[in-house]
Amino acid sequence: MMTTTTLQVQAQASSSFAIRIPSSSFTSPLTRSPHRFVVRAAVDPSEKSIEIMRKFSEQYARKSGTYFCVDKGVTSVVIKGLADHKDSLGAPLCPCRHYDDKPAEAGQGFWNCPCVPMRERKECHCMLFLTPDNDFAGKEQTISLDEIRETTANI
Amino acid sequence: MAVSVWASSSSTIPSSKYNNLFAAAAAASSSSFSNSSSLKFPLQRLPITWVCSPSPSPSRPRLLPLVKAKKQTFSSFDDLLTNSDKPVLVDFYATWCGPCQFMAPILNEVSTQLRDTIQVVKIDTEKYPSIANKYKIEALPTFIIFKDGEPYDRFEGALSADQLIQRIENSLKVKQ
Repeated sequence: MMTTTTLQVQAQASSSFAIRIPSSSFTSPLTRSPHRFVVRAAVDPSEKSIEIMRKFSEQYARKSGTYFCVDKGVTSVVIKGLADHKDSLGAPLCPCRHYDDKPAEAGQGFWNCPCVPMRERKECHCMLFLTPDNDFAGKEQTISLDEIRETTANI
Repeated sequence: MAVSVWASSSSTIPSSKYNNLFAAAAAASSSSFSNSSSLKFPLQRLPITWVCSPSPSPSRPRLLPLVKAKKQTFSSFDDLLTNSDKPVLVDFYATWCGPCQFMAPILNEVSTQLRDTIQVVKIDTEKYPSIANKYKIEALPTFIIFKDGEPYDRFEGALSADQLIQRIENSLKVKQ
């Protein structure tokens, strides 16, 4: 039997809303976590996937001898995009492409990061992994979770 | 399908790198063109951002022209193209595409600089996959310059403001 939950929606100065959902006997993904949920215009991928893709990006940059963009915001957005696809499709499909059928593409694998063009020719049009000669390439192969949060705060 | 076109309200130097153009909603003044009375289906807002040309400045001298927000509703994307008196630069993007977000402030700047030459519109390919499919969009960002409602020029990838202006001017053969 489900107990009634009361939702308190508070409009804050920013465009996000805080919804407090007290725990109830009815188990749902929402009530399992005691944290408040902030609803933004673009839904963020899960923290777990962001962390996985962040670690992957650092490792792969080192392995391939490529560097992150001078503008870490670009790197952060792509990492979140990969995490978002990992959540929804089970595989980190390239976020900088339009697809007819996303699940089919994720199953096929050509555009799963690291995609074939990257593996074969170090071509990353997402500007995630940049060869040293690229105008936009920075000098770093690391990115912290804080950097990701800060640079994507207003998306 | 009803299409709402939102303009960004921003100065030419954005305060943050990733201008959320949809946030301009709060400051937007709207004018509606659609024939909503004849629609059976709910009015569907197309989150197209129409980066508007700045209005003539008042007597007070201003260093940077302000871009006024303008929301317009069209019954379809085709309608938007037909009703435009200038060529239209369409930016096909996705929320989590890094280079697309990188281009946001650059598009603001280019729209201001080329205000008499071209109109800038952004389309979220995840919200409107049918439009993206129609124009065979693959890599993001893809830019298509529409002239008289038809694709005239097309290019992919992020580029600087100067490069983008160069490309647009060369394509339209209009020199500033």
